[in-house]
Amino acid sequence: MWWNTFIEYFPDWKIWCQAIATMLIAIGVFIIHKYIFDWGKAKTINRQQKTNEKKTQQISGNYDIDLNNLRNDLAKNGDVNFREFRTGLRGSRAVLIFVEGMQDESQINKHVMRTLMDNKAWSSSDGYLIQSQGDAFTAYLKEKLLSVSKISEVTDLYKLEESILLGFTALLVDGMPHALLVGEPQPKVRSTDEPTSEALLRGPRVGFTEVLGENTALLRQHGQTAHLVLKMVKVGKEIERNLVIAYMDDIVNPELLKEVEDRIANIDIDFVAESGYIEQFIEDDWLSPFQQLQNTERPDRVINALLAGRIGILLDGTPFALIAPVTFSMLLQSPEDYYERWLPSTLLRSLRFFVAFLALMTPAMYISFISFHPGLIPTELAITIIETRQGVPFPSLIEVLILEISIEILREAGIRLPKPIGPAMGIVGGLIIGDAAVQAGIVSPILVISVAVTAISSFAIPMYSAGITLRMLRFAGMLFAAVLGMFGTILFFLFICSHLTKLKSFGVPYVTPITPYRFSDWKDVILRAPIPLMKSRPIMMKTQNKKRKS
Amino acid sequence: MFTRTDDKITTTQTSIFISSSVLGAGILTLPRSVVSAAKTPDVWLSILISGIIVILMAIVMAKLSQKFPDKTIFQYASNIAGKPLAFIISTLLLVYFIMIAGFELRVLAEVTMFFLLEGTPIWAIIIPFIWLSGYLLFGGINAIARLLQIIFPISVLVLIITYLLSLKIFDINQLRPFLGEGLLPVIHGLKSTVLIFSGFEITMFLIGHMQHPEKAIKAVVTGLGIPACIYLFTLIFVIGGLSVDAVLRSTWPTIDLLRSFEISGLFFERLEFPFLVIWTMQMFSNFTCYYYGASLGISQLIKVNIGPVILGLMPFIYLSAMIPQRSNDIFAVGDFIGWSSTVLFMIIPLPLYLIWLIRSKGLKQHV
Amino acid sequence: MFKCLFKLVSTLMICTLLLSACWSSREIEEQSVYVGMALDIANKSERDKQLEAQGGITEVDSLITATLQIVPIKSVKGNQPKEEGGVKKYLNDSETGDSIFEILRKYALKRDRAVIGHHMKVFIISTELLEKIDISTLSDFILRDNDLRPSCMVFLARSKAADALETNQPDEIPAFYIRNMTLNKYRNNEILDGVILTNLDQYIESKQSFILQNIASYQGESEFAGAGIIKGATGKWIGNLTQEDVSSISWVRGEGKGGLLKAVNDNNKIIIYEIKSLKTKIIPKVDGDRMTFQVNINSEGRLIENWDNRVDVSKIDVQTRMEELFEERLATMIQNLMNKLQKEYKVEVAGFGERLKITHPKVWQKVKKDWDEVFSDADVNVTIKLKITDYGSSAE
Repeated sequence: MWWNTFIEYFPDWKIWCQAIATMLIAIGVFIIHKYIFDWGKAKTINRQQKTNEKKTQQISGNYDIDLNNLRNDLAKNGDVNFREFRTGLRGSRAVLIFVEGMQDESQINKHVMRTLMDNKAWSSSDGYLIQSQGDAFTAYLKEKLLSVSKISEVTDLYKLEESILLGFTALLVDGMPHALLVGEPQPKVRSTDEPTSEALLRGPRVGFTEVLGENTALLRQHGQTAHLVLKMVKVGKEIERNLVIAYMDDIVNPELLKEVEDRIANIDIDFVAESGYIEQFIEDDWLSPFQQLQNTERPDRVINALLAGRIGILLDGTPFALIAPVTFSMLLQSPEDYYERWLPSTLLRSLRFFVAFLALMTPAMYISFISFHPGLIPTELAITIIETRQGVPFPSLIEVLILEISIEILREAGIRLPKPIGPAMGIVGGLIIGDAAVQAGIVSPILVISVAVTAISSFAIPMYSAGITLRMLRFAGMLFAAVLGMFGTILFFLFICSHLTKLKSFGVPYVTPITPYRFSDWKDVILRAPIPLMKSRPIMMKTQNKKRKS
Repeated sequence: MFTRTDDKITTTQTSIFISSSVLGAGILTLPRSVVSAAKTPDVWLSILISGIIVILMAIVMAKLSQKFPDKTIFQYASNIAGKPLAFIISTLLLVYFIMIAGFELRVLAEVTMFFLLEGTPIWAIIIPFIWLSGYLLFGGINAIARLLQIIFPISVLVLIITYLLSLKIFDINQLRPFLGEGLLPVIHGLKSTVLIFSGFEITMFLIGHMQHPEKAIKAVVTGLGIPACIYLFTLIFVIGGLSVDAVLRSTWPTIDLLRSFEISGLFFERLEFPFLVIWTMQMFSNFTCYYYGASLGISQLIKVNIGPVILGLMPFIYLSAMIPQRSNDIFAVGDFIGWSSTVLFMIIPLPLYLIWLIRSKGLKQHV
Repeated sequence: MFKCLFKLVSTLMICTLLLSACWSSREIEEQSVYVGMALDIANKSERDKQLEAQGGITEVDSLITATLQIVPIKSVKGNQPKEEGGVKKYLNDSETGDSIFEILRKYALKRDRAVIGHHMKVFIISTELLEKIDISTLSDFILRDNDLRPSCMVFLARSKAADALETNQPDEIPAFYIRNMTLNKYRNNEILDGVILTNLDQYIESKQSFILQNIASYQGESEFAGAGIIKGATGKWIGNLTQEDVSSISWVRGEGKGGLLKAVNDNNKIIIYEIKSLKTKIIPKVDGDRMTFQVNINSEGRLIENWDNRVDVSKIDVQTRMEELFEERLATMIQNLMNKLQKEYKVEVAGFGERLKITHPKVWQKVKKDWDEVFSDADVNVTIKLKITDYGSSAE
C-alpha cells in the first residue's frame, strides 16, 4: 500500500531535470566567477624583483666628461638650458642646467649665480678650503656659500638627468665630485578653491590641488599635533610618483596600517596617473559595483576620517585623496552633517537614505506595479493610469528603458557642455523631452514622473561615485522586475543586501555600523547624535585610543 | 585582531537567528489551525503557554551545547553517545532541516503564486530563491547573521504597523467571552501552537558559534520570546478583525485580515503589499537558516568543505520543495514537521543531556 | 580560453531566455478593471439570444445574469476624442449562465481585454434571486477567488440589481458612490455599517440570520432603502425591513449616533430630536427556559427642529414633555421592530445573540442552533431615557 503512495509522490523526470539544472547552473556561475575574479585581481608580486634593475652610472667628477655626457643625453630635448659661468676667485668652470619654465628665476639668480660669481663671497678666512677639492669642496659650497634652503647631492648620472627633466636645477662645478640640485621645481598650480564636485553650504572652502606638497601642507594646517604621520612612498615603475600615507599614529590600528602599506607596496604598474589607479589596485573586490575606498577633494573630510582611525592616501598630481576603509553609511554622509546642528542633520540624513532607496528601486517598482500587480495600486490611480496609458505601444520594460537611457545620455552630454549651457540644457532637455515623448504617445506621463524622481534622487547623493553605483544597479533591478514582478524586485533587493554583507573593505565589513548592533556606533548612521554625546571613536575601527574627550 | 576570521556571532545576532528560523510560514496559517483545534477565541492563551514550554525546551538544548564550547551538535554528539548513534542522530537532524527548508520554500511559492504572480511556473520562483540563498551562504555565518540583523527589525516594524492599522476593523467583542468555555479549549489549542515553534533546533549548532556562550540562555529566551509575542499579536488582531467563524473559512487568515480594509490616502492603500514584501524577506532569512544548518551538518559529518556541500545540496532542497502535489499535502507536511520537532526533542537533546549529566556525575563520584 | 568563453556565452543565453518568458506580465492598460458586480435572475438580453442562435452556445438551464461594471470607459473603447458632457464613465456588461466563474470567463469570448477583479468594490444581489438560491452558494466564488479582496461590500437590491449600477449623472461611477454612501452613516442612522465579505463569511459560517442594506433604484437613481433579512439556517432572503426598522435596530445596537428621531407633539406638530450621544446596554437574563432581555437606552441630544411656533422650547417643562414624547415614539418604533422580528419573520438580527454569547456562553452553546426560534419566545423589555441637552441657536 505505501508503495503506491511512494510511486505517486515520487517526482517525475522533469522535476529531477530541474533539480539537477539548479545545481549545474549554480556550479557554473560559481566557477566562472572564481575564474574571472582571479584573472582580474592584482597579483602579489615578488618583492625582491622590484628593486630596480635600473641603469646606473656614476658621475665621474671630471667636469668635461660629465658635461659632455649630459649634453649628449639631453640633446634631444629643446627646452634644456645650459648656463655656463665661472666661479669667483677660484675661476672654476660651473654650469647650471635647467628646464624652461620650472625654476624660480629670482632665487637662482640671486642665491646661486650671484653668490658663486661674487668674489667677495669666496674670500674668507677659510682660505685653504678654497683650494680644496672633492667632498670638502662640496661641503663648503653646501654649508657656507649657497643660501638655498633645499639642496641635495646626486651621484648617479641617470638620476641627475631625471631630476633635471623633472624640473630641478642642477649645478655642476669643476672640482666637485658630484652634482648638486639647487632649485626645486615650481610647477604652475591653481588656487586651493572649493572643489566643485563636493560643494557645501557651510564648511571650509578649501580643496586639494595637484601638488603633493601643498596637499600635505593643507593637512598639517588643521592644527598642532605631533601624531599626524605622513609617510612617503614611491609608486610606478617607468615614471615614479610620490604617494603619502597619512594616519594618526596614536589612534590607528597598526594591523590596518600594515595591510594598507602592504597592498600599496604590491602595486605593479608603469605609471600611476590618478588615485583611481591606486584605488583599483588595492581594493578587495574588483567585481563589486560598490566602491571600497572613498575619494574626496576636501581636506576636512580626510582629517575627520583620520581622527576616526582611518587612513588617508594622497597622490602627487591629483587632488583626489583616498580614504580607507569605507563603509556603506559613509557614502551617504557629508561633512556638513557635522557642521550643522543635530536635528537638521538627522533629518537630512534620513532623507538621503530614503533618496538612495528611491533612486535604486523606483523604476523596478514602476514596472512591477504596471505589468504585474494592478491590484496593488489604489483604484483611482489605477483608473487614471489605464486612461493615460491607452495608445502606448511598448510594454513597460521597454518604455522605462527608453526613458532611462535617454536620461543617462543627457547626463553624460551635460558634463561636457560648456558652462553657460550645461544646467539650462539639463533642465530644459529633461522637461521638453519628457513632454514631447508623452505627446508623441511613446511613454505615459506617470513614467515621466517616476523617471524624474529617480534622476533627482540620484543627484541628491553627496558622493558622486556612490551615485554612479546606484545608477548602474537600477538597470539590474529593472530586469529582475520585468521577469518576476514584485517578487523579482524583492529578490533584487535581497541580492544587493547579501552582496553588501559579504563585502569587506580592508577587513571591515561593508555594512557596519548597521550591523552588528553596536549602539554607540549607531549614533552616527542615520541619527546624528548631538556632539557632546559622540564621546568615543567608532568601535568598528578598533582604534587604540577609544575616547575623543579627555 | 583587526580582521575577524573566526565564525563567531554576537549574542544579539544569535537571538535574531533563532527568531528568524522560527518565524516563517506558520504566521499565515496559525490562526486557522489553532482556532480549528480549540474553536474559541481564547487561543491566545495557548500561545503564551506553548511559548513558555518551547523556551524551556530550548534552554535544555542551550545548556547541553554550553558544555561543549565551540562545537556544534554534529561534533559533540559522538562524545556523548558514541559514533554510530551520533551519526544516526545527525542524519535525522539533517533530514529534518532539509524537509523544513523545502516546506518553507513551497509555502512561499504557493502564496506568491496565489497573490502576486499567477501565471509563473513554480520552478521560476523556487530556483532563483535557492540560488540567492546559496550566494549568501558562501559568505559564512557572519554574512548570514548580518543580513538577518538588517531584515529582522524592518520586518517586525512593518508587521506591527500593519497590525495597528487593522484596528480599523478590529472588534474586541470577537475576542470575548474570555474563557467562556473554560480552560479545556486552551489545552486543545496547545497541540497546534507548539507546532508553530518548530525550527528552534538550530540552537544546537548555533551556540557553538557564539562569541560569549555564557550568555546563551539570554539569547535563547529573547530569540524565542520575540516570535511568541508576534504570534500573540497575530492571533489577537486576526481573530479580533475577522472573527472566529471567518478565520475557520479562510485559507490564509492573516493575509485576509489585511485585504479586508483599505487605508485611503496612504500611497499603499492596500496593506497586503508591504506585508507580503517583508514576509518574503523573512521567509528568505528563514530558509537560509535551515539551508545553512543542513550544509554545516553535512560538511561536519563527512568532513568536507562547506562550499561544495552548499552547491551539492541544491537539488535535494529543490526536490524536497516539489514533492507535495496538492494543498492538502503541503499542510500535511507542515503538521508532520511540527510533530517531528517535538519527537526530535524527545530523542535528541533530552536524552543526550541526561546521559551527559549521569556520566559527569558518575565521573565525579568515582573521583 | 575557448572553454570559459563558451561557459560565459551559454550563461548569457540562459539569461535572455528568462527575459523572453515573463509569464505573468500583462500591461495594465490591456486589462479591464471591473469595480462592481450585480447578480440577477437569469434574463437573457436580445443580444444574447441572437448570439446564441448564431454561435450555438447551448445551455440547459441558466440561473444567473451577472452584470459587471467596467471602468474606465477609455479602456473599452480606446482613445476617444473628448466629447461634450454626458459621457458615461463606465460600461455595464451582462452575461448569463450557471456558475459565476463560468460567466466571468465568458467575457473572454466577447472582450479583447481580460476582466480583472482586483478593484471590485460592491457586490449587489437582487432579493428575487436570493429567494431562490442561498447566499453561501452565490458568494462562494467571490470568497474563494484570490483576486477579489475581502473588503468588497455586499448589498441587496429591491428590483433588478443591474439597475443599481446605473446612474444618470455624468462623471459618476455607481460602484464608487454606493460605497461612499455607507460613510454617511454619521448623518443618518438608517444606513447600516457596510457589510464586507469577511463579515459575510462570518455570518455564513455561524449560520445566524443577518441583514444587508437594500438599494432601491429607478431610472438611474439609487438610494438606500431599508434592509433585507437573510435567514441563517437557509441562507435565503425572507423579507424586508423598512427604513424605520433599520433606524430602530441602530438604536438597539447603540450605533445610531448622528441619526434623528421624529415625533409629533401634543398639538400635532412635528418635532425632531438629533442624537448627540447614544449608549445602549442589553442585559440578558436566563432563568431556566425563560429568557429575558433588558434593553437600556440612554441618549443625549438636541432639539433641532420644531414645527410648532406656539411652544417656547427654552422652557424646562416643555423640554421634559418633549422628552416623554420622543421616548414614547421610540418605544413604539422598537415595539414594531420586535413584532416584526419575533412574530412576523421569526429571526434575530439586532445583536441580542452576540450579547448572550458574551454574558452566558454556555447557554449560547446550547441555543445557538435554533436561536431564531428561541428568541421569538423571549421577552424584551425596553427602558428609554432621552435627554434634551440643548435647543440650538434659536431660543424659541
